[in-house]
Amino acid sequence: MTREGPVKCVVWDIDNTLLTGTYLESGDQPPGADPALTAVLAELGERGILHALASKNPPEAAEHTARVTGWRFAAAECGWGSKSGALARIAAALGIAVDALAFVDDDPYERAEVGLALPGVLVLSPEDAAEAAGWPEFSPPVITPEARRRGEMYAERRRRQAAERSFGGTREEFLASAGTQVGIAAATAADVPRLEELAVRTRQFNSAAGLPGPAMSQDWFRGLLSAPDRDVVTVRLRDAFGDDGVVGGCVIARDAGTWTVPLLMMSCRAMGRGVIDALLAWLIRHAARAGARRLLIPCVANSRNVPLRLALAAAGFRAPGPAGPAPAPYQRDLGPPLPALPRRVSAPGEPGGDAA
Amino acid sequence: MNPPGRADVASVSDDLRAFLASATGRDELLRIPPGTALFGTEVGLDSLTGTLLLREIQRRFGVDVAGEDLNLDSLATLGTLAAFVAQRARPEGHP
Repeated sequence: MTREGPVKCVVWDIDNTLLTGTYLESGDQPPGADPALTAVLAELGERGILHALASKNPPEAAEHTARVTGWRFAAAECGWGSKSGALARIAAALGIAVDALAFVDDDPYERAEVGLALPGVLVLSPEDAAEAAGWPEFSPPVITPEARRRGEMYAERRRRQAAERSFGGTREEFLASAGTQVGIAAATAADVPRLEELAVRTRQFNSAAGLPGPAMSQDWFRGLLSAPDRDVVTVRLRDAFGDDGVVGGCVIARDAGTWTVPLLMMSCRAMGRGVIDALLAWLIRHAARAGARRLLIPCVANSRNVPLRLALAAAGFRAPGPAGPAPAPYQRDLGPPLPALPRRVSAPGEPGGDAA
Repeated sequence: MNPPGRADVASVSDDLRAFLASATGRDELLRIPPGTALFGTEVGLDSLTGTLLLREIQRRFGVDVAGEDLNLDSLATLGTLAAFVAQRARPEGHP
């Protein structure tokens, strides 16, 4: 098994897994919900883990399963294609990595197919799943308000995406029309659990992803809050569709001449909403205003964090030298011209922003 | 002149224009010249559209741009990206 890190979404089979029988073979009396697994749905949901359905059935089977389990699934794939294909589409629809999925199916053939095609997915039988709530993969170290609201936020996200598809203008125009507000601010002690959660959970936007280095624990963040030459920053996001709370953050080490960002992270939920670009633009402006000449963001370069590397490249960061296992030293000179910061962003030192 | 199995820069450029226009819903991107900066204001490539674009290039041409180009310098303009992809395209990815 090659997977690592916590599971963000469990994809469930329907027939003889979440249901006690086969949907299409039961005539007028579709089978009921498996009580043990229904309890697992609720237990994991309370921890901020999402649930989705993948079934070789008509879509009505998903509606029936949602009804009898009483659960709002974040995504459902019903059809006769491969389960691995269904899982890949679910991961794409939810904006999470395939490796952050678990898959539960009573059919050993389906489990083998997914295990072969997607080796990063945690594949479980229904019997395994009933006990899995106690496993570390399903036990986030902290459960924040953001985690408890995660299911609702995905529903808000679907409404936002539907609105954007029918909007017609550029993304900038859509963000403005949706009343998007990005708030960059100094972190406080109350933000520490959420910062640790972001450090543990984010993959696509995490400059230190997979690094063995110092554990980015709550203690680590607390120590930084009182360090004289370090800053910890949070980024909040909200719009007319909903409040996503703290979606990102970073740590800044202020040394004369060069500022270094040892950790830069953002929830993939905020992707496509101008958040990472705003944070990078503000970091450049903030460091330049303080007299630094160079901003360094060491970033592990792998196939998972391509979105972060794209954002770094777009903001003018480059890493000299060939790619290797060590973090690539992405850096940018801070001479003019400095990037603009959209008006929807409030930040320390910016017009209308918080005091630095 | 293209070596056997390599793709033609002009046809790759057209494919990239078509994908950018459909991903952003902006038809004017069908007509951008090769020198257009992808991260600039005109195209406004960000981490979301950029990730979708690189995924499509991998699917269609079998080229892993992010794997081969640490700094993503190939994404400077439409023309640099098309040349990068055309040079590496696998024959089975683009018959």
